[in-house]
Amino acid sequence: MTGNEHNTQEELASYAMQSLPIEETASIRAHLQTCATCRAELAQVSGDLALLGLAVEQQPLPPGARERFLKRIASGVESTAKPAEVIPMPVKSSLRGPSFWIGWGTAAAMTIVAVSLGVQNRALNDELHDESSLVTNLAAQASRAQQVLEVLTAPGAQRVTLTEGKAPAQPTARATYLPERGGLILLATNLKPLPAGKAYELWVIPASGKAPVPAGLFHPDSAGTATLVLPPLPAGIAAKAFGVTIEKASGAASPTLPIVLSGAVAGS
Amino acid sequence: MDDGLVLERVRQGDQTAMAEIFDRYGRAVYSVALRILKDAGHAEDVMQEIFFQVWRNSDSFVQGRGSLGAWLVVVARNRSIDLLRRRKPTDSVDDVVLAAKCNLASEAEHNALIEKVQQVMKDLPAEQQKSMELAFFEGLSHSEIAEKTGDPLGTVKTRIRLALITLRKAFQP
Repeated sequence: MTGNEHNTQEELASYAMQSLPIEETASIRAHLQTCATCRAELAQVSGDLALLGLAVEQQPLPPGARERFLKRIASGVESTAKPAEVIPMPVKSSLRGPSFWIGWGTAAAMTIVAVSLGVQNRALNDELHDESSLVTNLAAQASRAQQVLEVLTAPGAQRVTLTEGKAPAQPTARATYLPERGGLILLATNLKPLPAGKAYELWVIPASGKAPVPAGLFHPDSAGTATLVLPPLPAGIAAKAFGVTIEKASGAASPTLPIVLSGAVAGS
Repeated sequence: MDDGLVLERVRQGDQTAMAEIFDRYGRAVYSVALRILKDAGHAEDVMQEIFFQVWRNSDSFVQGRGSLGAWLVVVARNRSIDLLRRRKPTDSVDDVVLAAKCNLASEAEHNALIEKVQQVMKDLPAEQQKSMELAFFEGLSHSEIAEKTGDPLGTVKTRIRLALITLRKAFQP
């Protein structure tokens, strides 16, 4: 696929099965963000592939699996998973046969190669050390990011809206938006309960004056709190405001009035 | 009770509702993970993580992403392949959107679906079956399948495309 051409079904199937190289995956992902036709076809292909998974012969659960799960949700423990064991992937050997090295004539060359390999080995070790440090740093950052996300989204987290004086807390939502990445996080508090079959829907109101863009559905918990974390949004939409409406549970193509919550981007 | 209604209760923090979701789809999720990983311990880990994510963030699945059962199975497949290939998880669960092919809330419907898909797969030419198996259950790319089977890359692509077309036709209303 190049430029704005549509993805082929093969490309989308490989994308859905996550078997494409990173660059190709990124290219298709970028195209999908702006192409509703390919997103719809990807959903079709994913639906076809799901059938294969669903048709797997059903196996009984391991003894105690249900109890372990229920215990875990009751206690809110993050993970009981054992560290993943390394499962070796088949690797093609690139070593040459021993006959390659036979013969006195090659002895000197071997010495040079050995020294050279020693130097390379050291360089690789240094590189490996740097990579390990990088991985450690990235892991620490990821762990920190995960903790932040968990605190923000945990059902058990206490959320308090501070108001002046003794005014009762009003429905409030705070959207944090990064237009160039299409990244959005919404944290809403004190929302009113929804009628059955309804959902709150967030809308990005583009600064360009184009139609509002649906940015995700959400439901408040019993305390009126809801979060929406990184809904699929195209990158690059400059927003002048955000709005929340009540829609049917499957969402709407355009907002239904009234807008129950709204807020303008500072400076718009 | 409809999956959507059970999920509404999960969103309210109802553990009984979450147990209901687990009872409906635990076996399907575990079975696909076991089929790929061939290790009961790892398959259970994958299953537990996925259901825990649903519990912690039930909004990650919304109506319009297909049926809940199919969505869970696709996420299980992707997580298992990640583990098999020792990759970091390559997508967030939110990324998976699939067109609804069926409602799996009832066991009878699920069983009928299993039978139908198995028949469609059985009727495929052996080479198409093999290519789909390697792609879906082993997570191999087209090039890796070509290398493993010794078939030309174009042939592998054609086989997978034809298998998908047959599968889609069989489930068209």
